[in-house]
Amino acid sequence: MATSSTLRIAWRNLGRNRRRTFLALGAIAVGQLAFLATAALLHGYAEKYFDSATGPLVGHIQVHAPEWRDDRSIDLTIQDIHHTADEIRKDPNVAHVSPRIFAPVLAALTEDGFMGMVVGINPALESHKSGLLGDETLSGKIGDRCILVGRVFAQKYDMEPGMQLAVIGQDVDGSIANDLFTITDILSSPVAVVNNLGIVMSLHDAQELLLMSDQAHEIVIHVDDGDLLDETVLRLSSSPLLAGMEVLPWQKIVPHIVSMIKFMDIYLFIILFIVFLAAAAGIANTMLMSTFERTHEFGMLLSLGCGPGRLSRMIAVEAVILGLLGVAIGTVLGLGFFLLTSETGINYAALGGDKSTYEMAYKGLQISSFVFPKLYVRDVVFAVCAVLLTSFISVIWPTLHIARLAPMEAMRS
Amino acid sequence: MENTLVEATDVKKDFYTGKITVNALRGLDLNVHKGDFLSIVGPSGSGKTTLLNLIGALDVATSGEVKVFGKDLSSLSRRKRADLRLKSLGFVFQAYNLVPVLTALENVEFVLELQGVGKERRERAQAVLEDLSLGELGDRRPNELSGGQQQRVAVARAVASRPRLVLADEPTANLDSENAKTLLEMMRYLRDEHDMTFVFSTHDPLVVSYASRVVTLRDGRVVSDEQKNSIAEDDEATVH
Ligand SMILES: Nc1ncnc2c1ncn2[C@@H]1O[C@H](COP(=O)(O)OP(=O)(O)OP(=O)(O)O)[C@@H](O)[C@H]1O
Ligand SMILES: [Mg+2]
Repeated sequence: MATSSTLRIAWRNLGRNRRRTFLALGAIAVGQLAFLATAALLHGYAEKYFDSATGPLVGHIQVHAPEWRDDRSIDLTIQDIHHTADEIRKDPNVAHVSPRIFAPVLAALTEDGFMGMVVGINPALESHKSGLLGDETLSGKIGDRCILVGRVFAQKYDMEPGMQLAVIGQDVDGSIANDLFTITDILSSPVAVVNNLGIVMSLHDAQELLLMSDQAHEIVIHVDDGDLLDETVLRLSSSPLLAGMEVLPWQKIVPHIVSMIKFMDIYLFIILFIVFLAAAAGIANTMLMSTFERTHEFGMLLSLGCGPGRLSRMIAVEAVILGLLGVAIGTVLGLGFFLLTSETGINYAALGGDKSTYEMAYKGLQISSFVFPKLYVRDVVFAVCAVLLTSFISVIWPTLHIARLAPMEAMRS
Repeated sequence: MENTLVEATDVKKDFYTGKITVNALRGLDLNVHKGDFLSIVGPSGSGKTTLLNLIGALDVATSGEVKVFGKDLSSLSRRKRADLRLKSLGFVFQAYNLVPVLTALENVEFVLELQGVGKERRERAQAVLEDLSLGELGDRRPNELSGGQQQRVAVARAVASRPRLVLADEPTANLDSENAKTLLEMMRYLRDEHDMTFVFSTHDPLVVSYASRVVTLRDGRVVSDEQKNSIAEDDEATVH
């Protein structure tokens, strides 16, 4: 236990060589700042990736015909789609159920055709934060051969609301399917394929165009509690209604995102390890120097009958105070960084001198130059524990030195 | 015997440094009695410090027996010896006796704390300082004290727990005669008023003149042991 004198001596000894103490504090504080800033950025990214991974396009769980993901063949469908969706919706953890149709087609405004992608959706079911439409505003503009087109797609081929778009494709039987649609609005979607190629129509219109009756290619499911995902997947896949269908959690659908988030954790761990080393070096150096400097004093105290354990405790308390002070300063700096950036976000492009932000999509993942740092209490706790542990480790050597001291020898030095 | 605090019998102490063996003590006999104000003198290298370290349980004899308060020190563990030093002996060293980051009062308080004295240690430390007319120095750090003041605080600390025996290795070596005198008078006051026994080594004739008994060492043996009336004993001088 640290008694009053132990604390007093430890504290005052830190003031004995101020410069050394400040240097050690600086090393620990900068390490902690680096760790917290990195953690905040990585968490910001991880969250962004997670949101975009589990967002409108992928969802938490997907259901398809077994081969569909590989083939994208138009006839690999889920039957009886209305009833199936209704049944899935009864699961206690299911929040949203969105049946979808995807079909590559040829589109034309005039004589020139271009590639497009029919995306058949139920507008009412996609008008939420993680739905393809985002909110209610556009949902009334779909249906009865009224369609939306993706923003980039529209720009590229000069499509505007009010225009007629001819769509030519292949129906489920392999014969030619074609029809004429009216563009009612432009859709700005976070989903790249919709933005770049999307011809978004009602599920019913798509089914008619492709002769699909009550079928769809995909059911995207969002759940309430992400922690219960595995149980939910298990429940759904064992339901007789989905027998023979493929029911997959998002981790299986976009495994590269899972490994990217995992990689971030590893990266963070490496940073923490470096912080560890910096703190350990700072504290160990300070403690070693102050122990050797005080050999005479320790010899005197040992001669008086003070136990070596007591001296070790003095050193340990000193190291812990040093570590905690350093980590406190670093945490304040880290929180400062976080508060300054978490509201406005950080634009990497701007750091490079570019005023704009950029957004890219890679394998269904939104990559952007913009990130909102996120800091968790557990990061701070983690670092505090790491530095505390470091403090204790760094007094092992001084403690061994003290344990070996013979009082009279020490007095002579 | 109750009145014999230290009994050293045929004590030998060898030091091994590399290939050379130094016979620092070569069959030494010495008893210290209650109330002694004993000065150990002798040429440099005659074994004064070695003897004090053995009596002070800081080191163990190579052979022979050293009994302190009736206990054979060689039978005690390292820990027990540390405990004996802490609880029953007082030490004053030549210099740098104090913890530099603590004030005079805190230094005294610290040893009381080590000895397990509870909350009242601050008052006790203050009382000890005042008893020795050091009350005003209480809140000064060692580097704000003169060498003489530091040694007086060191004595105050050594006697704070009322040890029966106080050991001092050349306590006046770094002091001028004025300071040495004050220190000696303080120690004699403690001997007279608080029934403490003092053993100190010295080269200083002034210290010898205060002693009630002078033991002379040569080559690790006692060559003379004389009881005397110290010149200063008749003086009126006291610390007060
Ligand atoms: N730790 C040690 N290692 C080796 N030799 C030692 C050690 N301590 C003392 N000696 C030797 O033992 C002998 C007695 O030393 P001691 O220090 O007891 O003498 P002293 O009478 O105190 O001398 P001084 O008046 O110079 O202080 C000396 O020859 C010294 O060199
Ligand atoms: Mg000596």
